[in-house]
Amino acid sequence: METFVQLVLNGLMLGGLFAIISVGLTLIFGIIRLVNFAHGELLMVGMYLTWLGTSQLGLHPYVLAPPLVLVLFVIGVLIQRFILQPLLDARDAHVQIFATVGLSTALINLALLVFGADLYATPSSGVRDSLTFGPFRILIGQLVMFVCGIVVVGALHLFMERTYLGRAIRATAQHRAAAQLMGVDVKRIYIITFGIGAACVGLAAALVAPIYPASPTVGTYFVLTAFVVVVLGGMGSLHGAFIGALLIGLVDSLSAFYIAPDLKEVVIFGLFILILLFRPTGLFGLGRGSE
Amino acid sequence: MFRTTRRVALGLLAGLGIGLGAGAAQAEIRLGALYPFSGELAVLGDESWRGLELAVEERNAAGGIKGEKITLVRGDAVDNNQAVAEARRLISVAQVKAIFGTYSSARSQVASQVAELARIPYFEMGAVSDSITERKFRYLFRTNPTARNMAERSIEMVVNSVAPAFSVEPKALRIAIIHEDSLYGTTVGRFQASYAKERGLTIVETLPYPANIVDMSSLILRLQAAKADVVLQTSYQNDTVLFFRQAREANFRPRAIIGGGGGYSLRETMQAVGPEVMDGVLNVDFTQYAINPKAAPGIEDFVAAYRAKYGMEPRSGHSLGNYVGAKVFLDAIAAAKSLAADDIRAAVAAVDVPDGTTPEGWGVKFGPDGQNERAKMMGLQWQDGRLVTVYPPEAAVSELRLRR
Repeated sequence: METFVQLVLNGLMLGGLFAIISVGLTLIFGIIRLVNFAHGELLMVGMYLTWLGTSQLGLHPYVLAPPLVLVLFVIGVLIQRFILQPLLDARDAHVQIFATVGLSTALINLALLVFGADLYATPSSGVRDSLTFGPFRILIGQLVMFVCGIVVVGALHLFMERTYLGRAIRATAQHRAAAQLMGVDVKRIYIITFGIGAACVGLAAALVAPIYPASPTVGTYFVLTAFVVVVLGGMGSLHGAFIGALLIGLVDSLSAFYIAPDLKEVVIFGLFILILLFRPTGLFGLGRGSE
Repeated sequence: MFRTTRRVALGLLAGLGIGLGAGAAQAEIRLGALYPFSGELAVLGDESWRGLELAVEERNAAGGIKGEKITLVRGDAVDNNQAVAEARRLISVAQVKAIFGTYSSARSQVASQVAELARIPYFEMGAVSDSITERKFRYLFRTNPTARNMAERSIEMVVNSVAPAFSVEPKALRIAIIHEDSLYGTTVGRFQASYAKERGLTIVETLPYPANIVDMSSLILRLQAAKADVVLQTSYQNDTVLFFRQAREANFRPRAIIGGGGGYSLRETMQAVGPEVMDGVLNVDFTQYAINPKAAPGIEDFVAAYRAKYGMEPRSGHSLGNYVGAKVFLDAIAAAKSLAADDIRAAVAAVDVPDGTTPEGWGVKFGPDGQNERAKMMGLQWQDGRLVTVYPPEAAVSELRLRR
């Protein structure tokens, strides 16, 4: 029983990690309708920046979160404006996806060039110490991620519901042409959305880096799971992504213990296929109304 | 107009090519050096190449082969396709007499196939996958130890040094085998299980996991539930770091941890995990530099030559392994009747270097499959931030330390 509770705790905390990484992805997915294959590499870039800031400037990784959010926002804006926007009117919408694949490969190789294939471990700065509750333990850093996940989802939800910009973003997601007719500057909305999506990754990077060492391919470790989370939660649904992430975390933790560590991916992706078959819009998907 | 210019240019280029080829063909023996010089494996690929380069320079300084100078032609095996393409280029364009390589098992596997078909000897000095020599190629030889040797050594250490250190019977130790689930980890893990069984040891868990794993907490809970005393892990860098971090966080303290190569030998792993956490961790790998020079005669000269040429300390044992392997093969080529593939092959097959006479510690004698039957891995331990040899006793520079 003790083991089971610890497994559930571990699973929820792992879910928090997946959630914080998936939020930005689901935003870009749901609004720009773009499968961003470079998402993991943005995380990688953020993790290297965190490493630089902590080891070279001696800062606490969490102190780096606000500047990283800004930097990644700018990177996201630049990517959308100068790489993806020119392809917006390409005859085949998939060209944009290929562009993100290319970007992903380019970023991985750039990191290889600059940092080499070795690991760069951000100092733990107390984040990897654990809190104990009787026989159970939780890492401080994981708890922080979990809470930040909730806060980010809540804040983005409010932003989308309550602000003019948020409504314009939702309108664009529902029907691009109609929004344009209503006077929404779609290109600008896309740029802002990609920026916000990337900014979420900036926050995630500052939180993940002290837990997990940076390497050129670190993004690929997370991004596949993030895609499953996004589909499970319903593309574009923020709280869906959060709950989806917790579910995947639980499945990961429990199946690795009760079945086998090398089969947990079979379980997760089996689940993924089942969702695609029986509920293609995901648990909290927008359903038929959306574009 | 444009056409003519292009034709003239092509003609010029072709002429230049022939000129170069003809000049280069005089009084030199060309040998191919196939390593990953760029991409993710570039660091250790380059480290391996340095060993070969030093061996060739030494040979050239001593008069080369049959009075002719050796020239190395480099091929960049950046991925599997490129390894094949570069092997073809070395054979058909550069017309090398033999290919040396390769560090990466996957690339060795495909490139050696090209060489075998072209009847060009292929000398492997760094790839560890057993399947490379299991194909019983005619012109393929390998000096370095393999995954099987790694598994053998780790089980040997459990029986001969870990159990005595804790004053228990070897079969009283509860052993868990964990490994990443690609060909590398699976091969080592399987051999470990079978050697352990042969020696009557107690295996409580065998857990493969994907190398890109992001959370090992469940795996560690399983090891805790199984009350594992000794953990054998075969891993890359990322999963090694993750295992140590999460084991510490879960307060899992087995009596001994024995790693296999890859992630366990790198300084960066030790730094990422923390020197105090890594202290006392055992490891099985190629011969490293903290070894008793009596068991590895010539190792000091190698390090001196390396420093003189590259102005730094060797980055890993890969250069040493390639140096020793290359020297054996170059000696054999020099002793061959001619540079025809079958004469080289006969000379290599006749090589007989006794144990304890090379800077690697082991000797060389090739089996019918082309694998060096005397190749062995060394038992190492992290002590105070250094990786030192602790097994076998004659090669050890330090006593085995129990984990704190």
